[in-house]
Amino acid sequence: MKTDVQVAICGSAGEGTIAAGDILRNALAGAGYRVISFDAYPAEIRGFGKCVARLRVTTEQVYSLKERSDVLLCLNDEHGIPHVAEVRDYGAVIYESKSIAPLASGRHVSAHVRPAQIPYPLAIRELCERATGAVRSRNMVALGYLAGLFGLAKEPFQRIVEAKFRGKGAVADANRDAFEAGHAAGVQTFKLDAVEFGPPVQGLQSTMLSGNAAVVRGCLDAGLDNFFGYPITPATTIMERLAVEMPKRGKRLVQTEDEISAIATTIGAGYAGARAATATSGPGLALMSEMIGLAVMAEVPSVVFVSQRGGPSTGIPTKTEQSDLNMALYGSPGDAPRVVIAPTNVDGCYRCAGKAFEIAERYQTPVIVLLDLYLSNRYESVVLPSTPPFEANSDKPLGSEELGPAYRRFALTPDGVSPRALPGMAGGMHVVTGLEHNEAGRVDEQPDNHEAMSRKRHDKLQAALAHPDFTFAKRFGDAGRVDVGLLAWGSTFGECLDAMFRLQAEGIRCAAMKVVMLQPFPVDLVTRFLDDCAVVLVPELNYGGQFARLVQAETGRLVQRYDRVTGSPLRVEDILGQARRLVQAARRKAA
Amino acid sequence: MNAARHHVIVGTGVAGNQAARTLRRREPDARITLLTLSALPFYNRYDLPRVFRGHDDWRDFLVDPPSYYDDQHIGLRRRVQVVNVDARRKTVALAHNEELSYDTLLVATGGRGYLPEELSEFRPLLDGFATYEQAMAMRRKVPEGGTVAILGGDMIGLDLARTLVDTGHRVVVVAGPLTFWPHVESAAHRAELLQVLQRMGIEIIDAVAEGGIDAIQAGARGFAARRIAFGSGRECAADVVLPSFGLVPSVEFLLGSGIDLERGVLVSRKLRTTDAAILAAGDVCQIWSEAEKRYRFYYGWKNVRAMGELAARNLTGDDDEFEPQQDETLHIHDGSTIHSPFWEYA
Repeated sequence: MKTDVQVAICGSAGEGTIAAGDILRNALAGAGYRVISFDAYPAEIRGFGKCVARLRVTTEQVYSLKERSDVLLCLNDEHGIPHVAEVRDYGAVIYESKSIAPLASGRHVSAHVRPAQIPYPLAIRELCERATGAVRSRNMVALGYLAGLFGLAKEPFQRIVEAKFRGKGAVADANRDAFEAGHAAGVQTFKLDAVEFGPPVQGLQSTMLSGNAAVVRGCLDAGLDNFFGYPITPATTIMERLAVEMPKRGKRLVQTEDEISAIATTIGAGYAGARAATATSGPGLALMSEMIGLAVMAEVPSVVFVSQRGGPSTGIPTKTEQSDLNMALYGSPGDAPRVVIAPTNVDGCYRCAGKAFEIAERYQTPVIVLLDLYLSNRYESVVLPSTPPFEANSDKPLGSEELGPAYRRFALTPDGVSPRALPGMAGGMHVVTGLEHNEAGRVDEQPDNHEAMSRKRHDKLQAALAHPDFTFAKRFGDAGRVDVGLLAWGSTFGECLDAMFRLQAEGIRCAAMKVVMLQPFPVDLVTRFLDDCAVVLVPELNYGGQFARLVQAETGRLVQRYDRVTGSPLRVEDILGQARRLVQAARRKAA
Repeated sequence: MNAARHHVIVGTGVAGNQAARTLRRREPDARITLLTLSALPFYNRYDLPRVFRGHDDWRDFLVDPPSYYDDQHIGLRRRVQVVNVDARRKTVALAHNEELSYDTLLVATGGRGYLPEELSEFRPLLDGFATYEQAMAMRRKVPEGGTVAILGGDMIGLDLARTLVDTGHRVVVVAGPLTFWPHVESAAHRAELLQVLQRMGIEIIDAVAEGGIDAIQAGARGFAARRIAFGSGRECAADVVLPSFGLVPSVEFLLGSGIDLERGVLVSRKLRTTDAAILAAGDVCQIWSEAEKRYRFYYGWKNVRAMGELAARNLTGDDDEFEPQQDETLHIHDGSTIHSPFWEYA
């Protein structure tokens, strides 16, 4: 029996909603299910906004969350009510049965459970108080109930709770007791819904990682030496995790006073030969843009992870968007070409993170890795390679004959990549400046030199399109001519892939392509794909169709834009609707 | 008449659901809210014995599909318990701490199984068959060819008994004064009816002749799940024991509301209580009988449905009286089967 169950947990900030989702996804992944999950939370720290943790639990590989959940677990009436409608028919709605505060008419979840949904009121607070003497572990009561109701094995939960609260004495006991109390109630509840968890996948040894956690693993496996950062949602957890892991490996992390310092020190470390990186979001990238130009001009390897959020300005810090593409591609004074890559899933976060250091070193360039909140905070079961698939050193080999009095740090070479001497290297003395310079690094504003150096900085990046073991763009679905093509980048590709499968099931010939390398752009691969498609839909999470415009500019072909800025991930249903509409229009036109 | 009135109906059995249907027809714009303890939309409880014929999906028992309520704009609130009615403020209090205002209130909570006091200490060892959940739980406990002991009988229990016999189970009815409830039978007719039950394949134990029930015990592992010990020393083993002694009206939440209660809600033949905004219908209400000069219950699917219909009409402008819809005579066919009008539901 296949399993495909989506659970949504909804509560107020501070109620343990996200923590409950974390325990649930880790327990289920530990039990052998595949899990993909995404948490939505407010900018406020505690007590105000709504938190929603959504998990899709499957035995088959899936690429996105479902539009409708099978189970909703409400820890808070006010926040839960708007989400009841997202539960499918014959799905389960679990909620607090005894409010401590008087509720106005219709302000209880029970008033919103539709006739085809199954209500499961649970005295969460009362059970928690009885089991633990306090109400703090209500989320664990609810989780225990869910596990009991759906017949999920207790052991994976117990292991996760044990690990999460190890050494915390009474807190650990309270959480364990609360889970047990909820579980007992769940087991005793007569199950009326049509939600079934089948057996997990035998022998599946996966790791539950968020996009940001995968970035961290990729950085560590690639041998990151130095990290410099300044906290900003949704990138902060990259620095938080690295702060724990890097000292264990004898590596250094510094929280700088601002983003300008973070990128400046990253470039400095890269100049010194270290593998260095920083992480930020759109507002931080704006501050870093001038220094990224310096890295371009000085040809210093440096890696910048950018997790996009709603903008412009401070924008919507805890909502997702893909609206920093233009800034990542072009955001610096002058012509400042850099490599921009964007993973499409958590596994891709790991691979892109590691490969970013190779590319940065090999082509002596800043590399921007574009994530977004949906991808940073999305959890997936991933199987990481047992041996890191990254080169420890990707520098272009430096021959001894290139060093000496005539050493030219910025020599014009056939591939555009110059011999890079590190500071202190005998015979490698040179000047580095943000001013335009000649091959030796000396300031040179002559027109011919500026043209030659500009060409060098642009052309050398083209070789990145042949960088080994890297997926620049990849096509999925039907081969040859198709009715509709879905072209996407970043986190939205998962929804496109699931939409493609649905369209195929409807008899529509369909293909999807993800583009990971955004600059330099894989023109040939994308153009071949466009040539095969009667129509091409480009769904993305920004208002101006930034990727669609990039595709059109690079390929000279027209595509159909589908731009949304709701702050939430794209919905498969919406992509389907757009794609069907395009196919029907094309067919009418052909007829 | 105010089209925007809020009609609240407590109970989603035959009466409550019929009332909602009629109210919607007569007041298309009114707000209608059904409140029920049940987790499921209105389903045919009379049909529950079918679980022993392999019908185990609750959707098979629904009278209307779930979409009916959405289509008709009838608010259906399940798993909610009304704990108090404030007739002066026209509000009902729900157990989860919510208050709901109404313009009219229809009490249609029906009844729950009656358990004689002398058996109450054995409650944890007894099963129920009043809800889908209970029916399914019982089905899971009774193996193929297993034994069900029905204490008392009543026409609900006997309806189940005949299905159990048909499906190859052993049924023992521990007969007593309420075996044919709600029919009231003479001693002579009762003896004849018991014989017919035996001819139908139902084993009869006369509780009085056996000195009454002394104890009900959980069976040791590997043996029958339950043992009934009689005063005479006789024992009866069964997989489940089902008490079936008729119904008691569910009216506790009306205590303190100011409307007149006896065993049920006292209503006129127009189903009106002592509060103008509150009516009652179904098994919960005792209707004044001029002929008998007393308040009495009228059971049976047809009567209850008629009460739901009438209450809704009287809430929306009519002023009619209840007329019983079915006779109350228990019939014997060919000396080998009995037939009760209370088994007529469709």
